[in-house]
Amino acid sequence: MSVWEHQYRDAVAEITSPGTLDEKILLQARQFKPVKQENRWLSKAAGSCAAVAVIVLLVHPAQYLGALTPKQRGAQSNESSSLTNWQLQKPLPATGTDPWFELRSEVQAGNYMRLCQQWRHEQRGITADKLPRDLANKARKHCRLLPTH
Amino acid sequence: MSWKDFQHLSDEALLDYYHSTRNIKAFRQLYARHKDCLYRYCTQMNFAGAASVLEELWRGLLERPPQLCGRLLRSWLFIRVNKLLRNYAGADPDAKQNSLLPDSQLLQGIQQLSRTERNILLLHLECELPLATVADIEKISLKSCREHYRSGKDKLDEFLHGSKRKPWRIEEVEVTV
Repeated sequence: MSVWEHQYRDAVAEITSPGTLDEKILLQARQFKPVKQENRWLSKAAGSCAAVAVIVLLVHPAQYLGALTPKQRGAQSNESSSLTNWQLQKPLPATGTDPWFELRSEVQAGNYMRLCQQWRHEQRGITADKLPRDLANKARKHCRLLPTH
Repeated sequence: MSWKDFQHLSDEALLDYYHSTRNIKAFRQLYARHKDCLYRYCTQMNFAGAASVLEELWRGLLERPPQLCGRLLRSWLFIRVNKLLRNYAGADPDAKQNSLLPDSQLLQGIQQLSRTERNILLLHLECELPLATVADIEKISLKSCREHYRSGKDKLDEFLHGSKRKPWRIEEVEVTV
């Protein structure tokens, strides 16, 4: 590049396209609408939603618990209801009061006097009431059979 | 694609991309590459008509993609703008606009050249087009284009640095005995 070509470059460096002209031309360019292309964000969102739906379907506990659709449940309701509502029948508690309650509580407190009296009456055949097994065992341990007069 | 993605694309690839997508960013990049160069050429060729000629040039490019036929977009732009300048029916293109251009002796010197010489000089110098392309634009032979270019340069040198020194005796004197 010769000297005057350098001089030329320096001289024209300050000549630039005016802003108003640029704006006019870019305004013309904006009138041409961009070609609509597939919205990548939308498809990404749709893809991720589909992936989440598949994961939820696979991981959902209902599949492994054997959850049934309402239709199937209707068909098998008789069999399943008897099983699901089954409970172990507890025996009913015995009604009525314990006739030996007072005596037993006395024995537990350490007072064997009435127990022994009852035991002697039973041995002598005065009373028909028999002591229950636990009280009879305790009476055998603690009471003496006094000689009859 | 962002602004940076377009930077490595050639003008022709950008033009293709713009016409297939109408992406304004691609056009901006293309416009930014050539706007100043085109404006400098147009103002020096015809200051009054520069803006309207450039508007018409870019409008044409926006409306329909140019058929480059293997040419560079840069060449196409200058061929097209040259045609538009020739057909411009505004102010007289040869009217001098020395006062409107920057105060440079060189630019004033360019304005002193004939239209053909100025066009050839600017197309080669400013637009960096090869002389063969310039000859095609001017519809003259390469040889005469080169001559125009040289004469234009010589005139410019003369304008800038004065006329060349000439020997005081130009005619050979024959001495007859």
